[in-house]
Amino acid sequence: MTQMVQIFLLGMSLGGVYALMAAGLTIVFGVMRIVNIAHAAFMFIAAYITYFLFQSFGVDPILSILVTMPVMYLLGVVVYRLVFARIADSSRFAELTVLLTFSLALVIEGLLGAMFTNIYRSTNPRYATDAILFGNFYLPEGQFYATLISLALLGGLWLFLRTTRTGYAIRAAMQNRTAAQVVGVDVSRISTIAFGLGMAMAGASGSLSSFLFTFFPGKHWEWVAILLSLIVLGGMGSLLGSLVGAFALAVSAAYVSYFYGPTWSPITFFLALFLILMFRPRGLFGKPMEA
Amino acid sequence: MLLEVQNVHAGYGAGPSILQGLSMAVEKGQSYCIIGPNGAGKSTLLKVICGLLHPRQGQVLFKGNPIHTLRTDQILMQGISFVPQDRSLFPDMTVRENLRMGGYILKDRKEVERRIDAVYELFPLLKERGNQLAKTLSGGQQQMLAIGRSMVLRPEIIMLDEPSLGLAPKIARQIFDSIQFLKQGGMTVLLVEQNARLGLKSADWGFVLDLGKMSFDGPADSILADERIQELYLGRQKPPRGGETA
Repeated sequence: MTQMVQIFLLGMSLGGVYALMAAGLTIVFGVMRIVNIAHAAFMFIAAYITYFLFQSFGVDPILSILVTMPVMYLLGVVVYRLVFARIADSSRFAELTVLLTFSLALVIEGLLGAMFTNIYRSTNPRYATDAILFGNFYLPEGQFYATLISLALLGGLWLFLRTTRTGYAIRAAMQNRTAAQVVGVDVSRISTIAFGLGMAMAGASGSLSSFLFTFFPGKHWEWVAILLSLIVLGGMGSLLGSLVGAFALAVSAAYVSYFYGPTWSPITFFLALFLILMFRPRGLFGKPMEA
Repeated sequence: MLLEVQNVHAGYGAGPSILQGLSMAVEKGQSYCIIGPNGAGKSTLLKVICGLLHPRQGQVLFKGNPIHTLRTDQILMQGISFVPQDRSLFPDMTVRENLRMGGYILKDRKEVERRIDAVYELFPLLKERGNQLAKTLSGGQQQMLAIGRSMVLRPEIIMLDEPSLGLAPKIARQIFDSIQFLKQGGMTVLLVEQNARLGLKSADWGFVLDLGKMSFDGPADSILADERIQELYLGRQKPPRGGETA
């Protein structure tokens, strides 16, 4: 029994980071209907920035969030204006975004490979290997911090969306784009900000994953598949859904890893993705899919 | 003239022009009903006026100034509000939050709250439901909220696209009563209505649109009485036997 609780805690302590990754993807999908296949690739840019800062200047990976978030926000703004704003009026916008983000992911992967080679990397601050004890249970210190920070950032995002004028506009655009336009929301500006925010979330989660997981440029494909399963389970476009989906699947994967070995753990996500799409394509909190 | 549409051509994306040289004029304080068959361009016309769609040719003047190149938020600022066909609410926001979004372009939050209270006086039911999510309201209540939301800006012109769509006849009449009430308050009303009789009865002036052009306009009661228009656009009515058919 103790062992089962321990596995539950380990799963939960990864759930926060998954939720942060999924939140970025969800905002971008919710506001703009962009299925961002490059989300994990953007995360990896942040992971490599963090790696570079850690190796060259000894900057703590958690502290480097202060760099990666604004940098990724700006990169998001530029990418949105250059790539997506131009096709915003296309009747085939959704299909185009899948192809465009797919090619963006390839470009990023190529650039990261050229700059950092394809060797496995990770940052190794002290807390990456230590554990915290709570009575009979333990938590890896890095996972614990990462989840705390993720939850804090998600809380900040929630407050921003609930209390600020821009936050209201983003939520409005997520719920009904036409209605948002009709009340005078400059949807193009809000889309740019929302894309930037999504990328900032990718930035923070990239920094945090740099000490939780090893990475090499091509590995973002596995991650984006995991992230898609989280947001499909939660319901595409639902922030609460992505949060619940992230924790549920992180815990399930922890149990699968314990009973069947760690190589099976990613399968949990892909199997979940397949089953949800088969039996409940709208996910837990999503709206029914439009025909 | 409060609003003038001059020789407007407009369409979606690379598609054909839906409006093909449409012109019309709107005077202050009057109410107008636009009727016409499906695909005539009624909704497209409203979208052009409120800046959701920019004309390919021609211009739209508000108080003599061109507005057809402005964004929707800029046109709202000038005093033209639009309630789209599907009511376009924010389903997962409360009634009050929806009204707050109605005042989105106003920077002064306190002023917005004051205006929401004024809307509540107009529609007390919205006040009762203030903390309810918009998606839980009935069709008629949603329409009321959509109209109330556009009232927050105290526009000079309010445009409504098929306000009676999907509503029971009794509820539709209530909605039209409240539109009438807005007009009495000095507002200019421009509405597109599938239920042409109901729409024309509540309007001063009627526009008949066909194939993207204005085919006829005149006082609403004379359009209602015009046999030719009745046959073409209103559907022939059985001779009245004491009761109302609309």
